[in-house]
Amino acid sequence: MRKRKRRETDAAQLEMTPMIDVVFQLLIFFIVTLKQEDILSHLDVSRPSPDPDTPVEQDFKDLLTITVHRYGYMLKGKVRTVNQLERDLTRLAGFSKDLSVIIRCTGDSQHERLVKVLNICAKVGLKKLSVFSM
Amino acid sequence: MTPMIDVVFQLIIFFIVTIKMEEEKKDIELAKAKDGPVIERMAPTTMVVEVDKNGWISIHGAQLSRSKFAKIMQGRTKRYGQFPVLIRADRRAEHKDVRAVMDICSGLNIWRINFAAIKQEVS
Repeated sequence: MRKRKRRETDAAQLEMTPMIDVVFQLLIFFIVTLKQEDILSHLDVSRPSPDPDTPVEQDFKDLLTITVHRYGYMLKGKVRTVNQLERDLTRLAGFSKDLSVIIRCTGDSQHERLVKVLNICAKVGLKKLSVFSM
Repeated sequence: MTPMIDVVFQLIIFFIVTIKMEEEKKDIELAKAKDGPVIERMAPTTMVVEVDKNGWISIHGAQLSRSKFAKIMQGRTKRYGQFPVLIRADRRAEHKDVRAVMDICSGLNIWRINFAAIKQEVS
């Protein structure tokens, strides 16, 4: 009889200390695991027809060709560094934002280089971008 | 002793879980493009394709061969029509591997392709 009575009082009284322990543990766990995602940018390009018969280049009046090699860039047949490229593109974009840019990539160039060119184009406001492969 | 054991177990579980998470994330290192446009909301139909530094293609973490990938894309275009494609390529990936993905897309009349890049690193 006496035993039963004691159990009842135990159940009635909720122990706070372990609960607080657990809650703190959970709190710390979520704070530590919460890792903010990096902000991503989406670089939009159009991919011309892989069919070599279609004459793409005739459609455009203002055409700018950037070639991405494994070890560098070329703008209109001249070798350029990233900074030079940015300066030239800024100047060219100043004339017309409707300039069509064709980016030709060699197969062994790293993707990072292409992204750099696309980044510069986005910065100076050139929107008509096409990526060719060679 | 009991609370200490509790805490230690918690720590062990914590480290096991976080180590696995990091391994998953380290696969692809995106290039940086701080001037690129940000799209708040991707179209729900967007297909995210990942290309790792060795040129392997994967969708939702599942590595696929090129032919398998082409088959999946074909099936999807047949069922839903065209959809935007977002390529998350590693910065060290060679262009020819990215090109393979683009060629498969353009073969299915998907002309607009997005590349994901890091605008701003939080961590």
